Amino acid sequence: MMGFFKYSVAAAIAGIVALSVAPPAGAAQPLKLGVCYDLSKAYTFATPQVSQAAQDLVALTNLKGGIGGAPIEVIVQDHGNEPQRGIECYEKLKREGVFIFDTLSTPVSIAMLPRVMQDKNILIQALVGRGDAVDGGVFGWVFPLGPTYWGQVANNVAYLKQVHAGNLRGVKIGFVYLDYPFGQEPIPILQTLAKVEGFELKLYPVPLPGKDQTSVWTQVRRDQPDHIISWLLAGAHVVASKEMKRNGIPMDKYISVNWLNEVDIANIGAEAAKGLKRGTNVAGGQDIPVIQEIIAELYKKGKGSGPEKNLKDVYYNTGLAMYSMVLEGARQAAKLHGTPISSATMREGLQNIASYDAGGLMAPVTVTSSDHGGGGKTRIEMWDGEKWIPQTEWIAAYTDIIWEVVRKSSSNYHN
Amino acid sequence: MFYPLAGVRHQSYVSDSKLFPVPTDRNLLIVLTVAAIAAPFLLSSLYLNSYVQPWLIWTALALGLNLATGWAGQLHLGYAATMAVGAYAAVHAARFGIPWEFALLIGGLAASLIGSLFAFAALRVKGLYLAIVTLAMQFVMDWVLNHSPAISGGSHASLQSPRFALLGQEIASGRGLYYVALGWCALVTVFMMNLQRTALGRALVAVREKDYAAAILGVNSFYYKLIAFSMCSFIGGIGGALLVATFFFLAAPEQFSVNVSIQVLAMIIVGGLGSIIGTYFGVALILLMPGIANEIIANLTSFLGLPLGNETLAHIPTTVYGALIIIFLLVEPLGLGKLYANIRDYFLVWPFDQFKK
Repeated sequence: MMGFFKYSVAAAIAGIVALSVAPPAGAAQPLKLGVCYDLSKAYTFATPQVSQAAQDLVALTNLKGGIGGAPIEVIVQDHGNEPQRGIECYEKLKREGVFIFDTLSTPVSIAMLPRVMQDKNILIQALVGRGDAVDGGVFGWVFPLGPTYWGQVANNVAYLKQVHAGNLRGVKIGFVYLDYPFGQEPIPILQTLAKVEGFELKLYPVPLPGKDQTSVWTQVRRDQPDHIISWLLAGAHVVASKEMKRNGIPMDKYISVNWLNEVDIANIGAEAAKGLKRGTNVAGGQDIPVIQEIIAELYKKGKGSGPEKNLKDVYYNTGLAMYSMVLEGARQAAKLHGTPISSATMREGLQNIASYDAGGLMAPVTVTSSDHGGGGKTRIEMWDGEKWIPQTEWIAAYTDIIWEVVRKSSSNYHN
Repeated sequence: MFYPLAGVRHQSYVSDSKLFPVPTDRNLLIVLTVAAIAAPFLLSSLYLNSYVQPWLIWTALALGLNLATGWAGQLHLGYAATMAVGAYAAVHAARFGIPWEFALLIGGLAASLIGSLFAFAALRVKGLYLAIVTLAMQFVMDWVLNHSPAISGGSHASLQSPRFALLGQEIASGRGLYYVALGWCALVTVFMMNLQRTALGRALVAVREKDYAAAILGVNSFYYKLIAFSMCSFIGGIGGALLVATFFFLAAPEQFSVNVSIQVLAMIIVGGLGSIIGTYFGVALILLMPGIANEIIANLTSFLGLPLGNETLAHIPTTVYGALIIIFLLVEPLGLGKLYANIRDYFLVWPFDQFKK
């Protein structure tokens, strides 16, 4: 026992010594990405896949010589979804030369925002955080790089309009959502669109954590909406599917937010989930050049950053999409101003991403200095029992309505 | 030897109830105060503003909860709700143009008012029932924040706090914000130390030990419980406001959710109910340990070259942290404060206790 104790103390001291030993000075300064993720609490349904995707994509890029001759380094750290620890991660990595941060957590990205704006560092907040951050004129250093929930729900309505041959008058749409900011966010857009398009909107709040939805779905049965748009997460989809079955509501009425993956499908049952739809900004499946390349160059050679089964998860594709955009921004920055990349040149690089779809991985994205979201295109996919079948092209509908809401909301922000 | 007791004799009640009956304690505190004042010049800005400053703010907060739970014996599971009331009231007041000194006071008073209102209902019950009623206060507050954009502020509910200023002097530097936190924490600490030796403090303890026995002695237990709740909420309100004004720079509902309430309660239980020094230790363990454990484990695995996945790497520190709490509470169920007191008791008589054996 004593021996073990001595060994652990020695190991701890060795660890602290290792901390203080600086890495050997390389030829080119690496570009560091600070990945402060919640790997232990609320967001663990997606963070392992997304961070693994980031590491794999960076490993692949480094194999090809990095960006502008400089290697890229990913630093992953857990913040347990606590704003306090997210700030600790930010402050620590900032001093290690990181100026690109990603949190994949709404509470943490909100807590980091004032510091990022103050320090002029870049905050990537794809699919999380405040929606109005797509307004690059106000949030100059924040890059949501992807659709807002406002845009995503508007695209869902556009799809339904397509289904009903261009006329939503008299159609009843139910909105089932987790009753906190994530789920509440699309409501104003839905209410505006209900006025514009003349459909009837029914709201069904689901109390957190979404494990009990019995009363919600009996209400849905009473109202019999023609379509159900769902803003639920992870396990809550599975609960919803059970309640739908119990209440005799067919699965093909259900359109999920992008947060529904292969694990949820497996839990619902691949056969039972037939007809289920989801809005998404990335293509699902592995039939995508970059994923094939990652499998061939990394996983076949035993150099993957995690278990290979994670690659079959759509959140892996989501992570690849996010970091493809980040690396594309870095490429543009290197092209414009060379290396080493600074936060100012990185920002310019990100704002120069044009019609980029990472080889068919995601909706084409064009970032400008006023639109940090990249256009907000998504599409609807349907689960056919084995795979996802796209139902629409990549669309971005009602953009004027969405930007009105964005500008109204972002005008309240003063740095 | 370390705690010379020779010549320490008390001949009156006043001298017996001095703040520091043993001079060494006072000297120790002076050294610590000097160290705290010198800290900005000794520590890097990372440690100063990401570790020590939040530690002080949370210690002041935890001391407030310790007043209700540790001294008056009232279990409180809705402390984060009072912090939220204080924070939102103060930030709204400051945004309205009221100077921060008064905004903080408004935050404290608003929290105190709402805390006492709830206490009126909550104090009809005791023990676990009280815990559940205070938990209800937490959920009511969560609901109100999530459903009233007028309070929580627009998109994704985050309300920016104006730049912090005291006496017309804007405080934005890391050192300045640290001193604000230090000043508030010192104020609360001195208040709590003095509370112990007043009639009010003794009444609170009497209520904690047995409320109807206290009533027989002429201590109106309902009144003192109410006092405990309103004081606890006042400290919590100002603490919540300072947390937002000097650390987060914006208020969001997640900063005051139910797990924050549980966390503060964990701080005082691990630290020691009714112990001031213990609260400092408890906050350090609960607040800072996850980050530090993360750092040590990450360095250790990279040093030993262990190929661990991101997830495993994140879960090991959480496990270590949980194990530490269990070990500390197994070694000393009364918390870290008692652990410190044991060591102090040992040195009070050292080395002369050896003669007895």
